Amino acid sequence: MRDDSSVSALVARAQAGDQPAWNELVERYAPLVWSICNRYRLSRPDIDDIGQTVWLLLVEQLGNIRQPAALPGWLATTTQRECLRVLKAASRYDSVGSSVDSQVLRDQSTPVIEQEVIAAELHAELRTAFANLPARCRQLLSMLLSDPPHSYAEISATVPIAIGSIGPQRARCLEKLRRSPALAALSDLEVEGGEVSGARASETGGARA
Amino acid sequence: MRDIWDDERLLAALKEALEADEAVPPEFIELGKNAYAWHNIDAELAQLTYDSSREPQAGLSLRAEAASIRALTFTSAHLTIELEVSEDSVLGQVIPAQPGVVEIQGREGTTAAIEADDVGCFLIRPIPDSPFRLRFRTADGSDILTGSITL
Repeated sequence: MRDDSSVSALVARAQAGDQPAWNELVERYAPLVWSICNRYRLSRPDIDDIGQTVWLLLVEQLGNIRQPAALPGWLATTTQRECLRVLKAASRYDSVGSSVDSQVLRDQSTPVIEQEVIAAELHAELRTAFANLPARCRQLLSMLLSDPPHSYAEISATVPIAIGSIGPQRARCLEKLRRSPALAALSDLEVEGGEVSGARASETGGARA
Repeated sequence: MRDIWDDERLLAALKEALEADEAVPPEFIELGKNAYAWHNIDAELAQLTYDSSREPQAGLSLRAEAASIRALTFTSAHLTIELEVSEDSVLGQVIPAQPGVVEIQGREGTTAAIEADDVGCFLIRPIPDSPFRLRFRTADGSDILTGSITL
């Protein structure tokens, strides 16, 4: 996996005892841990427990990390292992054990994990790039992305911006996003099928009980 | 990327990225941040290495203690903590035997502290009704944190 200088820097600072750097790492990768947990039909307390265990294990391993770029992969496999451990314990009491087994087998496939890790990295870079946009761009894009969508009239009144400028401004903001260093470094990741496939897979696979 | 991603795809990807982040409950992130409190506390994690409730039937019938309904073992590099769960209490044993303090750590922090006697035995009563971890500390600096326990 590629080297990521910002993750490397965060890991180095966390190793040196910097809580804010640790917090950034947690914020960056909590969505990855969370989405993997949600692929399994686990209760919320179980998921919290698994999350806590994964981060405790990372604290313990922090001094041993040689390749920070491998961190998301480590988090993903560790989260999956802890999920399977909890599932295994639960399946003893589960009369529909066979369905759990098949689910486990399906989810254990490495490609799913790899896709999730790639998608998580892409998402993290997108969020970083977004956070570094000028406030006006963040506000405009947020309003354009909101669900249900805001009308151009609402956007025009809130930002404020002339209705005729929304389109051009949107294009300029997206261009800024595209050119941000965080995203530029990812150009080699965005090839296979040209889709953020990991995210889709985790969404469809994450049917919740 | 500049060429592959048009505005619509970039916007869709950004939407996914922001939604993936918003889906995570704040408390889940807090648990992660709080885990850093263990940095520099040289605590070893002791993982669950045996749980009688996960063993086949034969494992249970071999156990002589009729009162024990569940046995758990947590192992770290230097210590083993064995737990015997009965109706209303948990009997613990630290191996190698040594005195120390056992803290019961709930989600919100330490809920109780009990002494382990000279042979490393301790008794938890009543049984905690929410998930907890045990932290065992000795005067000479051993510091062990077990995996999460739900009884």
